[in-house]
Amino acid sequence: MNIPPLSAHTCSLRIARNLHLLLITTLITGMSILLPACGGKEEDRSGKVEITFWHSLVSSTVPALQDLIKKFEEEHPGITVKAQYVPTGDALIQKLVTAVHSNTAPDVSWIHANFMQDLIEADAIYTMEEFIRGPDSLPQADLQDIYPALMEQAKWRGVLYSMPMEATALGLLCNRELFRNAGLDPDQPPRDWNELRAMARKLTLDKNGDGKFEQMGLFIPIFPYSGPYGDWMVWQWYPFLFQAGGNVITLDQSRVLFDSPEAITALTLWKEIYNDLNLSSFTIDYEVAFASKTLAMAIDGPWNIPRWRKMKNLDWTVAPLPAGPARNATVAGGEYLSIFKQSRHPKETWMFVKWMLRPDVQAFWSMRSGYLPVRHAVRSVKEYNDYLETDPPLRAYVESMEFAVAPRPIDYHSLRISRHLAEALEQATLGRKDPATVLRRAAAESNRLLESVVRK
Amino acid sequence: MPAAKKRTVLTLSGSVLLHVVVYGLALATIAPFLWMVLTSVKDLPEILTYPPRWIPERATLDNFVNAFEAAPFGRYYFNSLFVAFSVTAGQLITCSMAAYAFARLQFRGRDVLFYLFLGTMMIPGQVTMIPSFMVLHWLGWVDSYYALIVPGLASAFGTFLLRQFFLTIPRDLEDAASLDGCSRFGVLWRIILPLSRPALATLAIFTFMGVFNDFLWALIVVSSDEMKTVQLGLAIFRDRYQTDWGQLMAASVTATLPIIIVFFAAQKYFIRGITLSGMKD
Amino acid sequence: MVKATPHADQHQQSRRARERKDIIAGVLFLSPTLLVFSLFVVFPVVFSFFLSFHKWNMFSAEQAFVGFDNYAAILVNPEFWSVLSNTALYTLGTVPLNMVIALAAAYVLNKKIIGRRILRTAFFLPVVMSPVAAAVIWRWVYEPNFGLLNYGLSVFGIPSVNWLNDPTAAMFALILMGVWKSFGVNLVLFSAGLQGIPEQYYEAAQIDGAGKVRQFWNITLPLLSPTTFFILVMSIISSFQVFDTVYVLTSGGPLGSTKVLVFYLYENAFKYFEMGYASAVAYLLFAIVFVLTLVQVKYLRGSVHYG
Repeated sequence: MNIPPLSAHTCSLRIARNLHLLLITTLITGMSILLPACGGKEEDRSGKVEITFWHSLVSSTVPALQDLIKKFEEEHPGITVKAQYVPTGDALIQKLVTAVHSNTAPDVSWIHANFMQDLIEADAIYTMEEFIRGPDSLPQADLQDIYPALMEQAKWRGVLYSMPMEATALGLLCNRELFRNAGLDPDQPPRDWNELRAMARKLTLDKNGDGKFEQMGLFIPIFPYSGPYGDWMVWQWYPFLFQAGGNVITLDQSRVLFDSPEAITALTLWKEIYNDLNLSSFTIDYEVAFASKTLAMAIDGPWNIPRWRKMKNLDWTVAPLPAGPARNATVAGGEYLSIFKQSRHPKETWMFVKWMLRPDVQAFWSMRSGYLPVRHAVRSVKEYNDYLETDPPLRAYVESMEFAVAPRPIDYHSLRISRHLAEALEQATLGRKDPATVLRRAAAESNRLLESVVRK
Repeated sequence: MPAAKKRTVLTLSGSVLLHVVVYGLALATIAPFLWMVLTSVKDLPEILTYPPRWIPERATLDNFVNAFEAAPFGRYYFNSLFVAFSVTAGQLITCSMAAYAFARLQFRGRDVLFYLFLGTMMIPGQVTMIPSFMVLHWLGWVDSYYALIVPGLASAFGTFLLRQFFLTIPRDLEDAASLDGCSRFGVLWRIILPLSRPALATLAIFTFMGVFNDFLWALIVVSSDEMKTVQLGLAIFRDRYQTDWGQLMAASVTATLPIIIVFFAAQKYFIRGITLSGMKD
Repeated sequence: MVKATPHADQHQQSRRARERKDIIAGVLFLSPTLLVFSLFVVFPVVFSFFLSFHKWNMFSAEQAFVGFDNYAAILVNPEFWSVLSNTALYTLGTVPLNMVIALAAAYVLNKKIIGRRILRTAFFLPVVMSPVAAAVIWRWVYEPNFGLLNYGLSVFGIPSVNWLNDPTAAMFALILMGVWKSFGVNLVLFSAGLQGIPEQYYEAAQIDGAGKVRQFWNITLPLLSPTTFFILVMSIISSFQVFDTVYVLTSGGPLGSTKVLVFYLYENAFKYFEMGYASAVAYLLFAIVFVLTLVQVKYLRGSVHYG
């Protein structure tokens, strides 16, 4: 290669011609350094207080949330609520923890009982007592009106760290059309485990004779225990544990109870149905399956009501879960709100949390979102009762609340214990292991964790 | 000459077969991509049709409308593009300077430093993630553009790539410039960089792609909606109770499009850059 | 040693002067990179190492020193060994398949073929897609009832498989997607290597009467070996670090069959906040990858030809 001698002049020309890319990009970098970092929680110019609210509501519920916030802001002209979506499960706790660490925590956020330990140890959230007994107090009568099951889950080691925003219960989602096709009466859903098993079998069809089921009678929710659905699987198993007469943990939280005969009975039921229907070859996206009319029954929650309602071609309803050998039960849960100590407006944030508990607000939110009210008093709001008559699925969930059981809280290592249990559920069904063996192993691992806890 | 004719026929049929196989593989490669695009314009009943139909009977943009309603994708876009451009620009500068030092400058410990540098490429990002987050926290940069940009402003891979390229440039060029009185810096800017356009373009595209597609780091350092990137926005649709495939595919198309445009526009540089960098050490 | 002549002395002096100049330039040139690296690589690496000997949950102010407890706990944990074997399985499945397809495609694209550029674009498309989007798409492709893959198989009369809900099939699904996602990179690298082989070699071989196959074995493969070696080393490193696609596609399931090392690390760090334990896992991962690379350099380098 022949290189002409370079003079300073040709040097600079070359830069201009060849390096415009670099120069432009240098400029952009410079801009980025000069640009102020966004995202601070500055007060509105109009002097309004803005509170940030983190939630994991699914997108079909977002319109309801917007209505709720509008209602709050109309009643409280000085406050605006900024709702922010955060992915649920692992991601929520990870975000909360890192946010607390970096001083960017929200004012108020959804909290699951399982996540409280980390946040409390980081001294990140207020106890509710500070507000309940504060100047803007909450009467004891209101507190006692909240379902006790929910209040248990709102506490950590007996101290109230959150308030329920909404309740959930699990029910049995049924496709009425598939019931009719199978010669079953859609108004007579299964009442006990035997009927559940029989109907599930009857609703499972091999339509083209290839030895595989194209239509599934009942979805047994088995998900990878290591994934984000692991806790959800455990949650859906709890009703069966309760129906068999079992519970998760002893009252003093010293030992888990899922190696009990009741627990083994509950898991055996799951395993038998799972094998009977050959569910291991069926999709785990039960919502897709239900929407496509290839699934007749599934365990589901009220948050999905707006979702199914949008699907005009589905003839569906919700029934209370069938009773087990010991009793009638479902699992009561909910979403809880905690106020963060990093909040610059704890007073206004509490106003929002307290407002959320008002019976008419609870009724309003329930009717819009499908979530269940957290207190008995809502049942005496006439408008709400009238509404329930027109909404059988929601009514089924609300009525289920009467016999709903909240799992006893697990204050220490709850995420790991839940994972051990999830692993046992997956191994007994998909892994074809003996339910008693896997439950005993999971319980032993969990108890070892509990023993290691130095009680403070 | 029947033998020669036979061979021609053989080569021809071999060639046809080859084309069929290669085009089959190419089709299989892009099938999931086409499937995404076509699913994104179908409504739910059509998505849940079996056997699946490739071409939608009623094409609809509802999934896109719904996806954009559910999340401010415009803002996410701006964030992703801004961050990706900034990191790319920064890396071009820092990497070319460092690469030149490793390729040409003579100082003690240079090679040890270089191999240490290369060694960091083997460290999984997860090793450094936790403490890196703490550094950002101490600097007060969490949930800001700085958190997304600054840690990316240097790269062992980029330095390595450019060093390898610089090594292929004949030294005579630089010696000539040095005799002309150009400083080391002058040599880098006036001779090396102009000759390295393909390598710089390669690095730029690699970096842009990596930053635009990054998910985990953004998930950790960003919390407010204003700072979210497109990939985080996509995560919204991957939520626990959500298997709305139409919207998911619409969001995926949205999250993929800019990268594909960049790729089509700059493919030439990309291929040529890698070709020229001659990955021998 | 040869005694220095006055001339050599002078030469040495000018070299020293140049070196001194170069040190200053070197510091200037390297300082931006070193600054960023010390903050976001060097310090984190050291701090992680420190953490791996401590118990820390990210909240408490103090880290409790536990010596080698974290490492010992990992090594006696059967889960770690199953995670390690999953990772090895993924690597064994992905790397050879990836390299064979990439090399074959690169070889063919290097020949007379119509539409070379279109083909190359098609093969490279998956590489540029975000792993999140790609995994979302593949979940839909693998969907047992409406998915593309089962439909495609049914055309050939192959019974449907529940890809993501069967321990064996899920690992295969992950490998398939991994190969799909990344063979385009290796294709480009192989193409570059192939184009670097001078045409004369082939011409000479043709004169000697060597057929296409012989040419491939005797010329292409040996002369391509530096590229192949580079790709092998990099592919193994990156498949040991696979995470994003596992996270979105299988979440480590079913039955933990696709739980790989980085997923395990992530779980311990960001789900259980066992920062010390997770850091120790990170260091073990690093050690494994390091040793694997050393082994390759030691035993395979010898068979690499430099043209």
